[in-house]
Amino acid sequence: MARSGQALRLAAVERDAARHGLAPGMTLADARARCPDLVTLPHDPAGDAALLNTLAGAMHALTPSVTPDPPDGLLLDISGCAHLFGSEARMASQAAEIAGLSTLHALAGNPAAARALVRHGTPAQRRAEDVAALPVVALDLGEQATTALRRAGLKRLGDLVTRPASALAARFGESVVLRLRQMTGDVAAPLAPRVAEAPIAAEAHFAEPIARTDDVLDVAEDLLRQVAMQMEQRRLGGRRFALTLHRSDGARRVLAVETGQPTRDPPLVVRLLRERIESLADPIDPGFGFDAITLAVTRAEPLGARQSRLDRAEDAQDTVQALIDRLGVRLGQDAVLRLAPADRHIPERAQAWMPAMERNGSVSFPSSALPRPLLLFDPPQGIEVIAGVPDGPPLRLRWRGTVHEVVHAEGPERIAPEWWRQREGHRGTGAPRTTRDYYRIEDSRGRRLWVFRRGLYGGETVPAWYVHGLFA
Amino acid sequence: MEHNKNMRTVSAPILSSPSWRLRPSAQRPMPVLTAGQVHEVHGQGDDRAAGLAFALGLGAANRDGPVLVVRAGLRQPLALYGEGLAALGIDPARLVLAQARDAAALLRAGLEGARCPGLALVLLESEGPLKGYDLTASRRFVLAAERTQTPVVLLRHAARPQASAAHTRWQVSSAPSQPLEAPPGAQVRPPGLPALAVEALRWRGGPAGQTWHLQWDEQHGGFRDATGTSDSGSAAPSGAVVSLAALRTGAATGGSSPAAA
Repeated sequence: MARSGQALRLAAVERDAARHGLAPGMTLADARARCPDLVTLPHDPAGDAALLNTLAGAMHALTPSVTPDPPDGLLLDISGCAHLFGSEARMASQAAEIAGLSTLHALAGNPAAARALVRHGTPAQRRAEDVAALPVVALDLGEQATTALRRAGLKRLGDLVTRPASALAARFGESVVLRLRQMTGDVAAPLAPRVAEAPIAAEAHFAEPIARTDDVLDVAEDLLRQVAMQMEQRRLGGRRFALTLHRSDGARRVLAVETGQPTRDPPLVVRLLRERIESLADPIDPGFGFDAITLAVTRAEPLGARQSRLDRAEDAQDTVQALIDRLGVRLGQDAVLRLAPADRHIPERAQAWMPAMERNGSVSFPSSALPRPLLLFDPPQGIEVIAGVPDGPPLRLRWRGTVHEVVHAEGPERIAPEWWRQREGHRGTGAPRTTRDYYRIEDSRGRRLWVFRRGLYGGETVPAWYVHGLFA
Repeated sequence: MEHNKNMRTVSAPILSSPSWRLRPSAQRPMPVLTAGQVHEVHGQGDDRAAGLAFALGLGAANRDGPVLVVRAGLRQPLALYGEGLAALGIDPARLVLAQARDAAALLRAGLEGARCPGLALVLLESEGPLKGYDLTASRRFVLAAERTQTPVVLLRHAARPQASAAHTRWQVSSAPSQPLEAPPGAQVRPPGLPALAVEALRWRGGPAGQTWHLQWDEQHGGFRDATGTSDSGSAAPSGAVVSLAALRTGAATGGSSPAAA
């Protein structure tokens, strides 16, 4: 279903729907009238294009030359390939099997004819010799020229072929003749086949095996320069680099590093690799040495050419990001974190720790008028409390075996459970038990604590007290 | 003239520090965590927020850039809390936290951070004895900090001070705060703003051995020296603090309540 102008129209239909008489281009209201229980989904051209691209990749199993024909076609040049599958028909059925969709196909001596046959031919006429029987719409000339041809009584391509080309060109335009001759094979209609992207990689082989780590890193830097040039040509930057060390006895060791931002900077990646080698649990065993080293960029992202700024403001940002990358390699990516706000009411859920490598722009924290501690216990720690009933602040509390006399106190600040997240909603049974009343207290030595009472007096369970945070 | 007389009484290193402030009433310098130097902050094990607030409030609050906190060997699962950081004038989005496995990884990551220009503060937090931290290791931190002009703070909980090349060493603990006005009907007064008891164990070129009572200044967003004023009863500090309870009632009743006045 797609919006065209003011009307919602069907962009594509399933086989079942087609059987009920629905067709692309029909307005949604008409379709609903024919078929009241019609299920529609929004049209997703980007998804279709991605699927077509994936299919084109899969078709490389049949032939090296595959051209996507948007929005829903694929042109396969099967010259010299069909015999590998037995026959053209078998190859076509295999292609349909690979696609896994309901497909139509046509075989012809040139791509223009095949395309016209599959798009405009009736089921009975999809053979190469049926081109002459196709309607003139198959020339894809647009509404005006097609109507002009029809008005002249030229209904089928066969009617055109027999006429002199100069007369057709004079009356209906050059393109009619060009399209026609492309279909008959008189003029070549070249294809721009989809080319699989070459992997970004470089390798080095040695006459004598090398064993020292520094030598390995020197070679790695050299390889990185090579891949940097490859990436620069394609305006890419690497996010993940995999260095494979081929030992002379056949054993392989892969060292992979990741960066937070796409990069083409060899020294930076070498530093990361050095970190990686130094932080390995079991050090690299060179044995009798490595006789080959390969480097592959397994994840790349677009990265344009960059000009360094005069004020170096960006550079500081970059160095911090590089630091985060280095720490991530050394300590593990899950150990280098940034704070992100979470839209929750429970204090320990109101923030989340995210890997710092994944930069997520600027985040703004909600500012609270109520005091919040600097450090938070997660989970809260249980304490024993003497407090006034029902909602008095603690008078004395015992925490980790130490008694704290409460001198100053403030509260309660009630934080109710998030009933909208519970299955039974606010009618749930858990609510009174998990209501929290927070108090900010100061003991005789000047320690400021954030304590809370979970549950209410008078309920079926006795409330429990916890210390949840430390104030400065 | 008065100003000049004051200037002569302080020694050169303090004068050169950007965040140096001179209180007109008492001619003694505020504790500062100078950029490009290494500072050690010692605190008791169960009083971790005080040392952290001291390091962040004096080291990072008036500088731009990310704050790198490296932690290792902490016995309690205490998480830094974003809204609490914001109250100390540090945008939580500036925080980069690195969790190191052991003391060696902590020092290594901290050194890496100290060598990186563009950070507002490098804070290493550990508990108990810090293995591998000696004169050589601290000298490395000093050299790195001098080059990048980043303040480096080693926050050591429940640790014995040991010889190092650090410029300053502080003992920080929580101090009784100046309580706020009690809301009507309340038995006790609410605790006040953050307050710290600070002792300079070592201060190269500064008055070592002195103690301060620092109190958070809501108005100017920083700690101020409140030595001697802490026991002055109910006299509210300048920039009088609105009681939290009053704030809340005010919000609830649209400011018509007498408590909010």
